[in-house]
Amino acid sequence: MQVSFSTVLSASIVGLKVEPVRVEADVSNGLPSFSMVGYLSSEVKEAAERVRTAIRNSGLDFPAKKTVINLSPANVKKRGAAFDLPIAVAILVSLGKIRQKDVGGMLVIGELGLDGRVRKVPGILPILLEAKENGIGKCLVPKENAPEGALVEGVSVIGVETLRDTVEYLNGNYAIEPERYHDAYEEEGEDVAMPDYGDICGQGAVKRATEVAVAGGHNLLLVGPPGSGKSMTAKRIPTIFPPMTREESMEVTKVYSVLGMIDSERPLIRKRPFRSVHHTASRAALVGGGAIPAPGEISLAHAGVLFLDELPEFSKSVLEVLRQPLEDGQVHIARAHGTYQFPANFMLVGAMNPCPCGCYPDMNRCTCTPGQIQHYLSKLSQPFLDRMDICVEAPKVEYESLSGKAVEESSAAIRERVCRAREIQNVRYDGSKIMSNAMLETKEIERYCVLGEEEERMMRQAFSSLALTARTYHKILKVARTIADLDGAERIGVVHLREAIGYRTLDKKYWGR
Amino acid sequence: MEYEYWLAAMEKLSGRKKYLLRQHMKSAKAAYYIEETELERLSFLNEKDCHTIKQAQKSWDVHARYEKLCRQGIRLVLVFDEKYPKRLGQLSDKPYALYVKGEMPEECSCGAAVVGARRCTPYGEKHACEFARRLSECGVQIISGLARGIDGMGHRGALLGKGKTFAVMGNGVDVCYPREHIGLYEDILACGGGILSEFPPGTPPQGFHFPRRNRIISGLSDVVLVMEAKEKSGSLITADFALEQGKDVYALPGMIDSELSGGCNRLIAQGAGILLSPELLLEELEFYGKTVSGKISQKNPETEKVLETGENMVYSSVCLQPKSVNDLIEETHLPAKEVLGSLAALEIEGHIRQISKNYYVRS
Repeated sequence: MQVSFSTVLSASIVGLKVEPVRVEADVSNGLPSFSMVGYLSSEVKEAAERVRTAIRNSGLDFPAKKTVINLSPANVKKRGAAFDLPIAVAILVSLGKIRQKDVGGMLVIGELGLDGRVRKVPGILPILLEAKENGIGKCLVPKENAPEGALVEGVSVIGVETLRDTVEYLNGNYAIEPERYHDAYEEEGEDVAMPDYGDICGQGAVKRATEVAVAGGHNLLLVGPPGSGKSMTAKRIPTIFPPMTREESMEVTKVYSVLGMIDSERPLIRKRPFRSVHHTASRAALVGGGAIPAPGEISLAHAGVLFLDELPEFSKSVLEVLRQPLEDGQVHIARAHGTYQFPANFMLVGAMNPCPCGCYPDMNRCTCTPGQIQHYLSKLSQPFLDRMDICVEAPKVEYESLSGKAVEESSAAIRERVCRAREIQNVRYDGSKIMSNAMLETKEIERYCVLGEEEERMMRQAFSSLALTARTYHKILKVARTIADLDGAERIGVVHLREAIGYRTLDKKYWGR
Repeated sequence: MEYEYWLAAMEKLSGRKKYLLRQHMKSAKAAYYIEETELERLSFLNEKDCHTIKQAQKSWDVHARYEKLCRQGIRLVLVFDEKYPKRLGQLSDKPYALYVKGEMPEECSCGAAVVGARRCTPYGEKHACEFARRLSECGVQIISGLARGIDGMGHRGALLGKGKTFAVMGNGVDVCYPREHIGLYEDILACGGGILSEFPPGTPPQGFHFPRRNRIISGLSDVVLVMEAKEKSGSLITADFALEQGKDVYALPGMIDSELSGGCNRLIAQGAGILLSPELLLEELEFYGKTVSGKISQKNPETEKVLETGENMVYSSVCLQPKSVNDLIEETHLPAKEVLGSLAALEIEGHIRQISKNYYVRS
């Protein structure tokens, strides 16, 4: 009861997009051969050996016949090892080991080992989401990927361990329960020792600045000597963000899924990402890249924090490419064959020393000349600095703050205030594209950051005595708006403006003089 | 004058030899046209010097060079000239020629040199500016070296006091070094001061020039004020020159654990005058018969600053040592946002200054 031709549904990932792929097999009499066509990359071509051996090692017969495999559509480049299982299933259908109707309307995906074991593959979540869109009700995925697949509701996800199991399941001899969605996935995973703001003693200004930054979605620049706890603070920033929405979680999980970074115990990412990038990072590593672009660090930091330590050490061109994603909340990567889009709505936290040796302004210890300090600062371009709304000094950690005499406020308490401030913003910007105060443009600033007479007077005085520029002026207003929101105040008051002035980025001109 | 410039600008020939040659030949023109045989007969010149002079005779376009000098508005003052500063005339190692842009220091008014470290603290900066301002208000000419740090603040203070100030350079007077002081350079000239140098125009700044020019700084002044100096520094060289030249040296006392006050404190220990206030200094200058015009006013009673309680607490914690916002939070025990707010208010009012991100000093 051998049929010569068979077809199985599968899918491939291009960037973050899913391309449905139809795997066709034809086994006929003729000179024994195994050929594969369909614009395949070399890892797909190698599937031939894996599939042939896996079938034999699963106790199934692989007769010496002419076998042709086609992956359609033929104009899309196929990459990855996820086609092993569908190819094997298609061949087995052609050989009559499985009935074609049993695999109809089913999506099959997985890598095969030589022993017939089914191994996990990246990108299950986006593929299954796409399958659901296309009305596919059942998916055969590697067992390890099954919990990830279960995040997609309305698709029955069958996790298989071996090729043998797959055949038995499809023939109805062996029952596998569809993977169920666990409520435990929703939990944030408090059991893991999380860093907390309560661990940091002192450093009041930095803490307050991060609170304001998170509340208004502002990017943050920490200036301080080496070993001053800049990264310690940055690491704790995700803990005061409002909890992730389901939508955000899915977006982040998708990115991690494509890169194969999903934990099968906890497939859904509920903790906001914190990505710390070393200053040797290349452009491609940061924003994403490759012949077929893969998401970079900024997409991995989506909905979370991207931390760049030693900011001036980064190559200028790397920092410059961050400007567009910082503006748009997503990144576009253009290739000759198409444009790819990845989410990249992150909070940027930068850290730097005040001077190359780190001791400025303690002139008894600083060994840098004004020229050296200027040169160090000149590595940051003004347009890049303009995207940092809040700048604050991170002091040296003193012994008293390590010994921890005082009880410090926990992340949870700060987070509560942040959530309230975000809620106020959500109501205010309801129906517009703006999500937080940081996204206000000049026009909207005029509308939402109205100053009273007294405030106006103070700002006028500040403008001249502090030599502000128009750009800093607007940034101060935005930050003051956030501080007022944290206070629950409708109007921006003098106190809010004053605090915001303390967070302004110093003009490079006046630094180190 | 063309030939004088030729002789004065000749490198590799010491001032003393130039002086002797000039005296021997009666004029620079004669020296320029000197016969080779006669040149070799001069006992004070060795073979190398003769070669230098011969080279200079060939390579120097006398008229074009002098024309350029005049175009740049630079005057050449020779040691024989009447205009040559009397104070410098007493030096054993007096410069053969001075190049001057702008004015020369006046002979009759008192001159004070304000010297100190290039990399200085806000403490030194503040007092350099303050002393220079008060002295210049009383007609004292401020002399310094236009360097970064204390020197610059000294000139700045003198300009604030609407007085005259003179910069002695370690390079040609047409070169502004350091470059960021170009504004100051212009202001000094605009306010009736002058830029002086013993090095011919176009000479680039070189390390060994600076100790040499320090003898002119101290030579042109009646007192030398050392504002901030490490135990080994160029400012102490100036102080040494001053003592050799019989000038009074005053030093600004500092904290004993501040490295930048080490040199000053050492000078005081060795018997230098101590700078307690501009008023006291002015009184002392007057006592020693130095001409001080204008009246010495009593120190203004510190204008009571009307500040809110929180601001007052923060302000009293801010001092001349830079303090970070976190230090201030810990000292005042006020919440972070309140301290930041008070600092911003004080900054706007001009009571304090932010010298680096979130580091504040009193202004």
